[in-house]
Amino acid sequence: MEFQPTIISFLCNWCSYTGADLAGTSRMKYAPNIRIIRIMCSGRVDPTFVLKSFREGADGVLICGCHPGDCHYHEGNYKCLRRFKLLHKYIQQMGIHKDRLRLEWISASEGRQFADLVDNMTERLMELGPSPIKEIMEIA
Amino acid sequence: MEEPRIGVYVCWCGTNIEKVVDVAEVAKAMEKLPNVVLSKNYKYMCSDPGQDLIIKDIKENNLNRIVVSACSPRIHELTFRKTLEKAGLNPYLLQMANIREHVSWVHDDKKAATDKAKSLVAAAVTRVNHHEELQKRTVDINPATLIIGGGIAGLTAALEIADAGKKVFLLEKTNHLGGVVAGIDQSFPYFDSAQQIIQQFIKRIKQHENVEVLLNTKAENITGYVGNFKMPLPMLGIDAELEFGNIIVATGLKPYDPSAIREYGYGYLPNVITSLEFEKMLMSGKIETKDGKTPEDILIIHCVGSRNKNCHEYCSRTCCMTALKFATQLRSALPKANIYQAYADMRSFGKDCEELYLKASQKDIMFLMYDQQKYLPEIRRAPNREKCEMLVEIEEILSGDMVEVPADLVILMTAMEAHEDVKDVARTVGVSLCGNDFFIERHPKLDPVATTTDGVFIAGTCQAPKDIPDSVAQAKAAAARVLSSIDVGQVEIEVTTAFTNEDLCCGCQTCISVCPYKAIGFNEENRVSVVNEILCKGCGTCSSACPTGAIRTRHFTDKQIMSQIEGMLSMTKRKSKKTELEV
Ligand SMILES: Cc1cc2nc3c(=O)[nH]c(=O)nc-3n(C[C@H](O)[C@H](O)[C@H](O)COP(=O)(O)OP(=O)(O)OC[C@H]3O[C@@H](n4cnc5c(N)ncnc54)[C@H](O)[C@@H]3O)c2cc1C
Ligand code: SF4
Ligand code: SF4
Ligand code: SF4
Ligand code: FES
Repeated sequence: MEFQPTIISFLCNWCSYTGADLAGTSRMKYAPNIRIIRIMCSGRVDPTFVLKSFREGADGVLICGCHPGDCHYHEGNYKCLRRFKLLHKYIQQMGIHKDRLRLEWISASEGRQFADLVDNMTERLMELGPSPIKEIMEIA
Repeated sequence: MEEPRIGVYVCWCGTNIEKVVDVAEVAKAMEKLPNVVLSKNYKYMCSDPGQDLIIKDIKENNLNRIVVSACSPRIHELTFRKTLEKAGLNPYLLQMANIREHVSWVHDDKKAATDKAKSLVAAAVTRVNHHEELQKRTVDINPATLIIGGGIAGLTAALEIADAGKKVFLLEKTNHLGGVVAGIDQSFPYFDSAQQIIQQFIKRIKQHENVEVLLNTKAENITGYVGNFKMPLPMLGIDAELEFGNIIVATGLKPYDPSAIREYGYGYLPNVITSLEFEKMLMSGKIETKDGKTPEDILIIHCVGSRNKNCHEYCSRTCCMTALKFATQLRSALPKANIYQAYADMRSFGKDCEELYLKASQKDIMFLMYDQQKYLPEIRRAPNREKCEMLVEIEEILSGDMVEVPADLVILMTAMEAHEDVKDVARTVGVSLCGNDFFIERHPKLDPVATTTDGVFIAGTCQAPKDIPDSVAQAKAAAARVLSSIDVGQVEIEVTTAFTNEDLCCGCQTCISVCPYKAIGFNEENRVSVVNEILCKGCGTCSSACPTGAIRTRHFTDKQIMSQIEGMLSMTKRKSKKTELEV
């Protein structure tokens, strides 16, 4: 059977989670590989959440927040972006491909963009194959 | 803490979920998870019998944690929290799994959807184990209201609230009240004087003892939360500030600048004017060209900047009716003139509007239909200026002919669009905008004047283009919502705030530097950070920045989110059993 990646995703409540809900109410179809965790703001994404996801067997991690300037808490997404850049370098040092971790801005009206993003990331992860961490952690 | 005893409920949502997700299989799979006492599936969890089922189970089985796997928590989390309360449980001992918007409505493959649903529900189960009781906080509602925007919507809402005896601060960024309506002569479909209506409103507002009008003032730097907002007024002194409990946003829309559309020559052809410029002409009582002549040929062009992918894709909604209003007014003022209307579609919904269309079409007005997506009418200077000023080439699609229309005056029915500063307003009141920069309502059908931010309401065209009656109706609805909130007097506020564990805090003050609300202070004596829970909005940025894990965000603790991650991935099989990993 073709490899099916699992993506753990952190979506902020105000923009991105609402955008994902909109994809649902608009009945837009996308790949079933994503698992969404709701947080209040992308600024809440602790680097350990991302590392934990990889450790538990995620093939990819997607963080979504409001577009720059639109964060419900003014600047949580900038804080997230700053942390993300460091984290991105760090995971590559650990041998995790950079395309396995993404940070994207999705507004409450961008249901289509969200659906396309999930499809696009799923496709890329299928090319990349299972996460190398799974081998180490002995996750099938 | 007592042992968790979890009840899991998988909702069918009629056929909405059940059609794609094997709900019985999902419920069954949860039975095996630690601490799950019972796991059921039911047709409509949000219905009264659905909620009663939860209440009965809580009582009979001593459940102390509930997972409802159904629609988005954005829709029904409050419903089910109330259910828990009715059964005597703390409302925060609930976790929802979204298997409708995030599963059954977006996937077709039944197996993949069922597997995904299982992992989402399992995650909710593992998470709910770590939920804690949180005590609700209620605060008093300041009975004053801030209204942003002094157009017809803002004025209406202000009068409604002020007449009920409550204080209103009315903010207007220009130096006058009235908004767009202040620049309109007569209003469709009855040709009553828009000036009379709006000037009366303005007069009453200015005299009203409960209304304080602040002209040349923008909404900026609003802080606080429902019931207790504040806005500084630096121009009135350093410490001057407004305090209010609710906000109504009524910032309206502005006309689109048509000079970007090459075909229309607006800006260099002097007798091509916009609809609002024509209203001004009507108010002055003189319809004439720039060089003072009475126009013999007049063309009105619809959909300028609307319904076109190069400008705005939406319909501006009032311009068709305004164009028919203009044609009717022109016909009575200039009985001999030739009047043309180039339209793309005639949208005359609304009470007595189709009737106006019918009447206008009996007044010797030439209606020409053009294709808004393909060929816009093209205006050029006439070579022989004796006969007419301009010539307009139109591909008339009903006849299929290319026609050339003479014109001395062209009126562009310009689109209405968001103000440049709308993002600043949206940010300061904490409400999202849609792709067209209109304010987003809490629910498009069921809650059209509220927003997802408690205490902030919207009215008038800032929500989407609309006519005066609809703007007034929304304004009155928003005012009623504010008055009922003042009447209740108190409101429950978010308890999902941050707090520090002073034993773990090393005093590095990282949290203080990242908090967007300056909600954290430093206790010099104990050298620890302390959260002011009234100011904290619970974004959680501090928790993810704190190096020692001393600062926690209630209901979004590390443990809760980590366990959710574990639960989500627990459905993937492991090659060999490994002991719990430390993070
Ligand atoms: C040419 C034309 C003709 C029309 N004719 C008719 C008609 O005949 N009949 C009819 O029913 N409808 C008509 N309409 C529609 C009508 O104008 C609108 O329904 C109405 O203006 C909506 O009122 P509003 O209060 O929502 O917004 P607006 O009238 O736009 O008022 C908004 C106010 O908010 C202020 N503001 C904006 N941003 C800020 C800020 N950041 N801080 C403080 N203040 C701010 C603005 O300066 C303005 O005063 C017409 C529209 C046009 C363009
Ligand atoms: S109301 Fe009429 S003129 Fe205005 S955008 Fe809609 S269709 Fe075009
Ligand atoms: S970041 Fe953590 S350790 Fe540092 S001051 Fe704040 S609470 Fe204390
Ligand atoms: S959660 Fe933390 S960063 Fe966010 S508002 Fe509260 S104290 Fe500030
Ligand atoms: S609330 Fe969406 S990123 Fe902060």
